[in-house]
Amino acid sequence: MASLGRFIRLTVGACAFLLVIAASVPCNAQQVNPTASSVKEQQLLQELNRIQGRVSIPDQRSGVLEQPAGRDWREFRNVTLRWIGGITIIGMIAVLVIFYLTRGMVRLESGRSGRTIVRFSAFERFVHWMTATCFIVLAISGLNITFGRPLLLPLVGFEAFSEWSQWAKYAHNYLSFPFTIGVALIFLMWIAGNIPNKVDVDWLKRGGGIVGHDHPPAYRFNAGQKAIYWIVVIGGGAVAVTGYELMFPFYLSGIEGMQLAQIVHSIVAVLFIAAMLGHIYIGTIGMEGAFDAMGTGDVDLNWAKEHHSLWVEEEQAKGHAPSGGTSRPVAAE
Amino acid sequence: MKAFVAALLFAAIAAVGMSILLNIIQEPSSVAFTTSGARVGDPGNNLVGPNG
Repeated sequence: MASLGRFIRLTVGACAFLLVIAASVPCNAQQVNPTASSVKEQQLLQELNRIQGRVSIPDQRSGVLEQPAGRDWREFRNVTLRWIGGITIIGMIAVLVIFYLTRGMVRLESGRSGRTIVRFSAFERFVHWMTATCFIVLAISGLNITFGRPLLLPLVGFEAFSEWSQWAKYAHNYLSFPFTIGVALIFLMWIAGNIPNKVDVDWLKRGGGIVGHDHPPAYRFNAGQKAIYWIVVIGGGAVAVTGYELMFPFYLSGIEGMQLAQIVHSIVAVLFIAAMLGHIYIGTIGMEGAFDAMGTGDVDLNWAKEHHSLWVEEEQAKGHAPSGGTSRPVAAE
Repeated sequence: MKAFVAALLFAAIAAVGMSILLNIIQEPSSVAFTTSGARVGDPGNNLVGPNG
């Protein structure tokens, strides 16, 4: 009887020992990696798209710690934008150089008549030059934001680059206001002459007098000038709206909205710069007599008849322009 | 030339005028974001300037 009781105790003890060992196996597995099934940062980003918490300062938006879109935006700003901007601007300069070397300056074929016609009033030239000078400063200071660090910093050093960039940013911010005023005035001032019409289609089909030596008729603004007008109005409006969205952060949108604004602002700006390079080319070395329009405001009557014949007829009918035009040609300067 | 000079002058006056106006209207971040429960330190004279 005693041996039976010892046997039972041994059996129960062995079973209890095996039970303890069996129960300890999963415990050991959990101790090896207790956070194996916990939520990872990457999972949180994928599920919630952002990591944010609470902050003690009034602006609760500063509690956003991570948002994946920020990394995509940084990649755009530091890599993609530099490629887009570089190819667009250098490409346009290359096209203009090749065009000038092959086509040369568009000459005044009938020579100067010695008589002039008022092309732009003093106020129109004032608005044009105000917008243009602001645009040039905005373009240079804007390109510094994108290309300054990789291109200019190695050349001038940290101190000079910091000082220049600080003043360039001030100029970029504050000259945006007269630029915006200029774009608004340009829109109002020249809208009547810049509505596309059938004459523009014919002008484009005939190469606008730039390709070849044809002189298709045009009113006060030809199709090329109308394109520049709408680029200035729409492009200028886009960079102004997106620029103010960036200049006054969180007034109009959150982080994502400002990143989108920066993308639109920068892409429109580099396209705008490329278009204006073409405008500056044709208004200076690309066409004989063109600069007079914005220089003195008066253009030679022969120039006006060659490039804006329908407008000259309108002005002559109103008595605002001398009649004739090609009777007394003088040598071009 | 007169139109060009006038344009430069107007642009400069408008830019300086807007900078003065915005500096009057807007508060420095150390003032705007400071409350009785949280004080934001003065950023000092760094790249963004004393009013950054």
